[in-house]
Amino acid sequence: MSEPVSNPLAPPARRTWRKPSLIPNPALRWSLILLVIVYFVWALSTLPFDWNRIQEGLPRAARIFSGAFPPDLKRPELVFTGLMETLRIAILSTILGVGLSIPIAFMAARNLAPKPVYLLGRGIIIVARSFHPIIVAILFVKAVGFGPLAGILTLAIYSIGFVAKMLAERIEEINWGQVEALRAAGAGYFITLIYAVLPQIMPRQIGLTIYQFDSNLRASAVVGIVGAGGIGATLMNAFRRYDYDFAFAITLIIIAAILLSEAISGRIRRKLW
Amino acid sequence: MVSAAEDTPMAGMGAAHRAWSRHSPRERWTRYAVTLLIGLAAYWSIYNIDIDPEWVMDAPVQIADLFIRMSPPDMSRLPSIASAIVETLNIATIATVLGVLVSMPVAWLAAQNTTPNRATLWLGRVILVSSRSVNTIIWALLFVAIFGPGALAGIIAIMFRSIGFLGKLMSEAIEEINRAPIEALEAVGASRMKIILYGIIPQVVPTFVAVTILRWDINLRESTVLGLVGAGGIGLILQGSIDTFAWQTVSTILLAIIAMVVAGEALAAWLRNKVM
Amino acid sequence: MLKISNLVKCYGDSKAVLSDLNLEVPGQSCIAIIGASGAGKSTLLRCINRLVEPTSGTIELNGVNLTHLQGSSLRMARRRIGMIFQGFNLIDRLTVMENVLSGRLGYVPFWRAALRKYPQEDIDRAFHLMERVGIAHYANKRADELSGGERQRVGVVRALMQEPEILLADEPTASLDPKTSVQIMELLRSLSEEYRLPVLINIHNVQEAKEFTQRIVGMRFGRIIFDGLPSDLDAEAMDHVYDGVPAAEREDAQGVILRAAAG
Repeated sequence: MSEPVSNPLAPPARRTWRKPSLIPNPALRWSLILLVIVYFVWALSTLPFDWNRIQEGLPRAARIFSGAFPPDLKRPELVFTGLMETLRIAILSTILGVGLSIPIAFMAARNLAPKPVYLLGRGIIIVARSFHPIIVAILFVKAVGFGPLAGILTLAIYSIGFVAKMLAERIEEINWGQVEALRAAGAGYFITLIYAVLPQIMPRQIGLTIYQFDSNLRASAVVGIVGAGGIGATLMNAFRRYDYDFAFAITLIIIAAILLSEAISGRIRRKLW
Repeated sequence: MVSAAEDTPMAGMGAAHRAWSRHSPRERWTRYAVTLLIGLAAYWSIYNIDIDPEWVMDAPVQIADLFIRMSPPDMSRLPSIASAIVETLNIATIATVLGVLVSMPVAWLAAQNTTPNRATLWLGRVILVSSRSVNTIIWALLFVAIFGPGALAGIIAIMFRSIGFLGKLMSEAIEEINRAPIEALEAVGASRMKIILYGIIPQVVPTFVAVTILRWDINLRESTVLGLVGAGGIGLILQGSIDTFAWQTVSTILLAIIAMVVAGEALAAWLRNKVM
Repeated sequence: MLKISNLVKCYGDSKAVLSDLNLEVPGQSCIAIIGASGAGKSTLLRCINRLVEPTSGTIELNGVNLTHLQGSSLRMARRRIGMIFQGFNLIDRLTVMENVLSGRLGYVPFWRAALRKYPQEDIDRAFHLMERVGIAHYANKRADELSGGERQRVGVVRALMQEPEILLADEPTASLDPKTSVQIMELLRSLSEEYRLPVLINIHNVQEAKEFTQRIVGMRFGRIIFDGLPSDLDAEAMDHVYDGVPAAEREDAQGVILRAAAG
């Protein structure tokens, strides 16, 4: 450092500093800010914000709450049957959904499928992912009637949306060398799939299956609300009969069951990886 | 399948005795046990479930029949569907913004390194768990009872549900920050609030933004069902059309939902790339 | 002037990291603290600005006893003590200027800190100091875009922004390559002269310590066992500081430490 020793008491030159903005162009920045403000003002103004209605609603909410306390497990046998049905729905829909996901994932993998098949596979996944399970459940309830069958079909679709998507992405990442080696050895299409692709995607597949079982258990409690069987149906019946303390007890049991299954599946998945 | 390889000399001879198996015995038994377990679970489920086998046989016909009734989509109600889609979009966006605002202080409470004391830590965690455990539709039922039917109840329901998701991921981000800059700011004599401002916020902003975009994407889907319990959005006309057996309108609505969700996903992916 | 008397620090019930340590730093000087890792150098520096809470003893800086300060009076004391870190401890995602200005956080009100509206004299001081160490042209760059030596200069400027009465440097060159190390040591020495500051430097590299400081303090087992001019640090003294202590004496030293911790 060969600079001259500066006097710390000397007044330094005046200079300004401003934090550089995320969007350097001021016109663009301000118009974006304006756009966001206008959007929120407009969106909020479209809301039906009725104070009188809320004032009426608050005592109603208080009534619901006081009706719900203390939670009362009046008919434990109903809750038990509901939970068992939910469990069965989750098991069967996971088997069905994951079983269907594997071929769909192969269809939707860019590196393995011919273009038209690829587009079909992607289309199935997009449709399955776009709809909330409750919407799918309503449609199935209309088509096949109330009960667990609608629940199983709904959650199978739900499983495809997630498992097939993740699996297809995994297939697209496989090590291509192994596939070429088998093709060079003269193996046919399905043999190649079984020996070169399946072993590479198996660990991911197992993790996804456990995760999806967990999600299905959770979702099957919800689709019951629209008539697709399980504990959700029990909950909805209690709610419709203004049996709020029973409904609250069921809600607490659902929460406990979900936390339990989350803990178990988390443990298993940690063990696997 | 029996591994007789142990007592076989390793020389080139004796090839006739040798058997090969892909998995060690222990692995194999685990596999058998897991397969058996799945089989039993499937058997138990099928055997006990309350489904008439005839219905199962009939299901493909019924589903095909529904499809036929749905096509072709009826476009005549497109304007009201479009405005309902916009309302759904608004519900998801406003609820996400409100959810982010509320979940930031909750995340601050629920993170071990920022929470003032043990009581506040537990308060934060209880808020997160209860928000996450109750489904959007159940929150919506509750808020429709309070606020009456409409988008307001829907927004609050989605917001309540989002707090748990956002708050959990945000508090994890806060717990993972680098301590070193915080130490430097303490040494400078900065107060607690200034340390949050300079030491913590700049470190967690990228995660907060990513988590917000992700949740917006999820909320877009969630807000399509609010209308089924009267909490606004596209679900309202969907339920109405189903109840009046207007299946061709239903298929238009379903297509509109797909379009919205796909566009939302593309926008979310673009934003993520832009910001990261 | 810094005066440390009978300083003791123990973590939990385990043996003391610092035991009955006394040190005086009168006025402007550049002092190196050497010693093997685990000797307590880093703990000593952090006790001075109370990043580490001393178990007993007193630390006085220019007549103010630092050991019992709490809350805002502790922050007022800390803002007069600059600290430079081995890992630079910058806020990576903020700009160099924001990191530099964060040295004023003990002085400015919250709204100024939040809006980045610092007083003009702080901005002037920041530019002046950044020019002094040669990083002014990086003012609007993000801190993580800089090289190690440049980042450490930001750390030094941040500490000087505090208008410190003393500078503490904890292994300031340990993360740098040899050439940059020498530059940073040279910088610390000349800043000590320019601003008439006492500078305490923890350092592994004895060669650099001898070259750039006027006084060397050797630590072992939480106590000072050498204190003198760089020229006095001969081979024997080095052995004493680093690995010349026989096992029996080592146990004795620990016995003293335990007694001090109990008392």
